[in-house]
Amino acid sequence: MKNSFKGILFAVTLLVFATVLAGCSDTSSGSKEVEASDYPTKPITVVVPAGAGGDTDANARLLGKYLEEELGQPVVISNVTGAGGTVGANEVLDAEADGHTVLFFHNSLLLNRILGLTEDSYDTFKLAGIAVLDQGNTFMVSGDSKFKDLQDMVEYARANPGEVSIATEVGGFTHLQLLALQKDQNIELNIVDVGGASEKVTALLGGHVDIVPTSLGLVKDYVESGDMRSLGIMASERVDLMPDVPTFAEQGVNSEFEKFFFYGFNPDTPDKIVDAFSKAVEKVVNNEKYVKEAEKFLVTPTYLNPEEANAYMKKAEEKYIELNKE
Amino acid sequence: MFELILEGFASVLTIKTIAYILGGVALGLIFGSIPGLTATMAIAITLPITFGMEPIAAMSLLMGLYIGGVSGGLVPAILLNLPGTPSSIATTFDGFPMAKKGQAGPAFGYAILFSFLGGLLSIIVLMLLAPPLAKLALEFGPFEYFAITIFALTMISSLSGGSLIKGLLSGLLGIALAMVGSAPIDAFPRFTFGFKDLNAGFQLLPVLIGLFAVSEIIKSSETKLKKGQSVQYKLKGFGFSLKDFFKQGWNGLRSSLIGIGIGILPGIGGGTANIIAYVTAKNQSKKSDEFGKGIPDGVVASESANNAAVGGALVPLISLGIPGDTVTALLLGGLILHGLSPGPLLIENNGDVVYGIFAALIIANFFMIAMLFWGMRIFTKVLSIPQYILLPIILVLCVVGAIGVNNRLFDAGALLFFGILGYAMLKFHFPITPVILGFILGPLAETNLRRGLMYSKGDFTPFLTEPIAAVFLTLALLSVLFKIRSNYKKKRDHDSNHTISL
Repeated sequence: MKNSFKGILFAVTLLVFATVLAGCSDTSSGSKEVEASDYPTKPITVVVPAGAGGDTDANARLLGKYLEEELGQPVVISNVTGAGGTVGANEVLDAEADGHTVLFFHNSLLLNRILGLTEDSYDTFKLAGIAVLDQGNTFMVSGDSKFKDLQDMVEYARANPGEVSIATEVGGFTHLQLLALQKDQNIELNIVDVGGASEKVTALLGGHVDIVPTSLGLVKDYVESGDMRSLGIMASERVDLMPDVPTFAEQGVNSEFEKFFFYGFNPDTPDKIVDAFSKAVEKVVNNEKYVKEAEKFLVTPTYLNPEEANAYMKKAEEKYIELNKE
Repeated sequence: MFELILEGFASVLTIKTIAYILGGVALGLIFGSIPGLTATMAIAITLPITFGMEPIAAMSLLMGLYIGGVSGGLVPAILLNLPGTPSSIATTFDGFPMAKKGQAGPAFGYAILFSFLGGLLSIIVLMLLAPPLAKLALEFGPFEYFAITIFALTMISSLSGGSLIKGLLSGLLGIALAMVGSAPIDAFPRFTFGFKDLNAGFQLLPVLIGLFAVSEIIKSSETKLKKGQSVQYKLKGFGFSLKDFFKQGWNGLRSSLIGIGIGILPGIGGGTANIIAYVTAKNQSKKSDEFGKGIPDGVVASESANNAAVGGALVPLISLGIPGDTVTALLLGGLILHGLSPGPLLIENNGDVVYGIFAALIIANFFMIAMLFWGMRIFTKVLSIPQYILLPIILVLCVVGAIGVNNRLFDAGALLFFGILGYAMLKFHFPITPVILGFILGPLAETNLRRGLMYSKGDFTPFLTEPIAAVFLTLALLSVLFKIRSNYKKKRDHDSNHTISL
């Protein structure tokens, strides 16, 4: 009796162990060249260099859900945070170039090189294209803020240099947006680091900062509840998903930003495999069901093929370098 | 309100959902009870499976995993002196000594019952008070966080065992280890010596299980490995009387409140709640000398606090859509993917799901106590596995867990490094818990100090003039003074005894 019990316990332990190992094994197995025609032969790991719960994670998971249908293999989201996203990016560069590990990230990748954190950027990866654009980059104030609109805030900031506090994650995409505003309007804000997306929401709700730059899709419920107001979005023209929100340009501020989410592979990955993945992304982006779900985050699913994505990101990088010059 | 709760129960009381909760709790307990595997991993692995389910069923499963994952940690903590997760560190302090004294049964009894009560209390608080408590948590900015971490760091003085100096050194070592990698805010790499792998710094899990578990395993190889112990535990009920239970009443309540309070604050969480509750219990107890030698009060404090932190952590998630730790961040992702938008309107727009979640939490809590209660007998049998089989399995699982954090082999190496470091510390009688406390709290203190100074443009005074911050810094000061006084008194008593005996 006792022995059989021991056996059972041992078996259970092994079973759990095996299950977990199977869950993590996708980075370790298979060294032989994978024929592109078979691709994918095993689950695909999408490395997201951002924590769970933010917009990068949400977009990656939603796309992953539909990519699974197109590719016929499970798509596993792996949140690898740290060092402004460079840790996750490195993981993809270090992984085997068989197309089963792919990076899903946004503008911050470009910034990491511009700020000298890493030598890798968009051109280090073999891009599979851009899947989603977010034009809802906005500055939020609390519902009872003294600033009526953007111009109101700019005037106040001009009269009181360094008085208006604005939250950011230093070195992140929002930091660039603040620098752009300061430069364009020749004002000085008190730039305060508060951390990631949810920490920004906390800082604004708690009244610790005056302005929080974020993505409108992440905070639309707070607008509805009256806790927050938008000072406008940094799109070139009004966006259909949010027709009531004015642009910065309308309010006399020349600052345009678009957040883009892309897929990138290890540069040694065979073209055929990247093409196959890119085709699958295109199909997902054109899938009405996906588009409808994505619009809940107020993002615009937009497919740019690898060449278009390269050109797009090159242009973005030039703009960012210009902005970062002091 | 009452009607909503009933509706919540009605929505989860289907055979399918109950089965999900049951399965979730069982799987969570397995993950929680294996050193190296955590509730976070259980949820991360299960999350994609829930996409195809109805939101309420999916959230029920995840809540089961959460409750199970947090509770499972008490098993290896008591039986093997291995805290599987940061939330069960303090359970080892008295749980393992109790087991060694042949009181594994009562140790389990206390741990399980008070896990249940702490969890239940926090869920009730969550249901009744979530919105006002979340508003209160919002008041905590960098000044307040800095003050509270400094206060928590003073706990090191009570966790130092024999030598305060060794305790402080351990705490500083923990802070120093946490500084490896990208600095907070400007991401400048520190102490990386050009190694790319060190840019991300050390992860909490390899540090924790390396220092606590791997070191224990190395230590056990010093002696000839024992055959399995045949442990006989005759148990009646929970292994303690009603009178014993009432004796723990205030301790359990206070520790639960500490757990809820710490749990609500995003970023600090259950990992520190159990330690703070333990130290508080120790300092307030008349029998504080018996802490660490196997006193039920220690187990009660730790286990009430870590389960109570669950309800606490859900407060900002449910009422504001703000995650406090990695588990709640994953739950937030889960809610979003089910088409719900966590935020201020969640209760209003999706009240059915929210009250379904509450009901699932309560049911999961009952499953948890039932499974652990009947499982007690089985768990104690783990000790009958010969150590030369058991310990290698645990070591392998620790490595798997370490790699699982970020899917990096580097973390496995880090795990072994910390195992050796922990072993050296054991040999030279340095306490290990302060390292973990320093490791968790050091970066919080640094980040919030720097953020606070950005807010105030370099001015230190708000750290002292903001009321909440001032209260916690005063408490920190008092805590240090109290320790100095008691040490002084102890020394004086010791000296006078000495002269008499001469």
